Amino acid sequence: MILDKLAREIEAIIFAADTPVDMETLTRITGALEDSVQQALDRISGSLEEGGHAMMLRRVGSGWRIVTDPALGEVVSLLFEDRRPGKLSRASLETLAVVAYSQPCTRAEVEEIRGVGCDSALRTLLERNMIRIAGRRELPGRPLLYATTQEFLLYFGLDDLDHLPRLDEITELLQTPPEELQRPDHPEGEKASPKEDAAEDG
Amino acid sequence: MSADTCRVTLELFEGPLDLLLYLIRRDELDIWDVPVAHVARQYLQYIRAARELNLDVASEYLVMAATLTSIKSRSLLPRRGEGDEDEDPRALLLRQLVLYRAFREVSGELREIENVWRDSFPGPGERGRWSRDTAPMDPGQASILDLVGALEELQADRLPPPPARFERPRMSLAECIVDIETSLKDRGPMGFRRLVGGNAGPERIIYYFLALLELAVRGRVVIRQTSPLGELTVAPSMAAAPKGAAPE
Repeated sequence: MILDKLAREIEAIIFAADTPVDMETLTRITGALEDSVQQALDRISGSLEEGGHAMMLRRVGSGWRIVTDPALGEVVSLLFEDRRPGKLSRASLETLAVVAYSQPCTRAEVEEIRGVGCDSALRTLLERNMIRIAGRRELPGRPLLYATTQEFLLYFGLDDLDHLPRLDEITELLQTPPEELQRPDHPEGEKASPKEDAAEDG
Repeated sequence: MSADTCRVTLELFEGPLDLLLYLIRRDELDIWDVPVAHVARQYLQYIRAARELNLDVASEYLVMAATLTSIKSRSLLPRRGEGDEDEDPRALLLRQLVLYRAFREVSGELREIENVWRDSFPGPGERGRWSRDTAPMDPGQASILDLVGALEELQADRLPPPPARFERPRMSLAECIVDIETSLKDRGPMGFRRLVGGNAGPERIIYYFLALLELAVRGRVVIRQTSPLGELTVAPSMAAAPKGAAPE
């Protein structure tokens, strides 16, 4: 597929950009309408795929970026050998998951879910720019609030936060008060009824 | 359970909830209907074994042990009326377990995504993320003239070279001691500041202070301070210098 002028412009902009480029920027720079830009993006994506190129167009958050095919990761990573941070530790990953699904949240909230101290894991994640400080909760002590960053989306190749795995299920779980928690298999399940003997016994 | 399995596994756990989930899975228990007595027993066995090995058991593990024991004992007691029922610790624990299990599973999924997308590289514009160099300036932002200018500036405010020779202090403790004793004898008790002199440098102050301490040790002066960090008042000691008759 031979790309038209608009698609070529957009491809060049995304390639040269230092962050994912959002729709607003693309329409502003090219002067094209959102619909045309969207179609051009589809054409770029299609042409990269058709031509068997090593690059691909990916949406990250509200923007687009051109990245190499992860299938070629082994070769390309040799180029960056000692310049890449390692994988996240299990503690960091768990902590990050809790922040991602319940953001913005405080350290105490993360620790309650994980059942262990998360101070150092949070610090690692801040250093690696996976999370950021998103203000303070108006509670005694005004604890810091944490939220995920764009870097987090980039790192996990997520389009946006709505694409987190099992988002609905976990959001619901987080919102259910303990006494209403039920085995998911039978939502109308027999409520083991300890309430029957509510009569006061002396 | 041998001591060795315990040693290995405790380090693998990401906290008490992780250990509990492991026990539940190992014994094929239903997470929604956990037999607390059984789990509590297994859990405590782990903690005890770990302590026998002198492993450092994090306090979180002990809190959980207490929670389990409390739930167990609560289930043995007759249920009281609903009025004073605060949150059921059993329900709270169930929620913790279910939530933690969900997050643990999700972290597993995130790990898989990480494995894939960590190996996808952005275009050159974004490569700075991995560069050890600091962000480069834009082309044309600086010229050779800026460089020369910066060098001239450096030379202009260059400070004189530090002296290569250092003078040795010309004071000695012995001199200071004599000086202090003379002043006290001539002028009577006085404050430390006056003793040292109005515009004494740090060196002189230190020497005089050391000399003063020396005199105090020898019992020749009495030092008084009426408040913390307040002025020191120095007086010749009565015993040391009865007027006229110098000892020795």
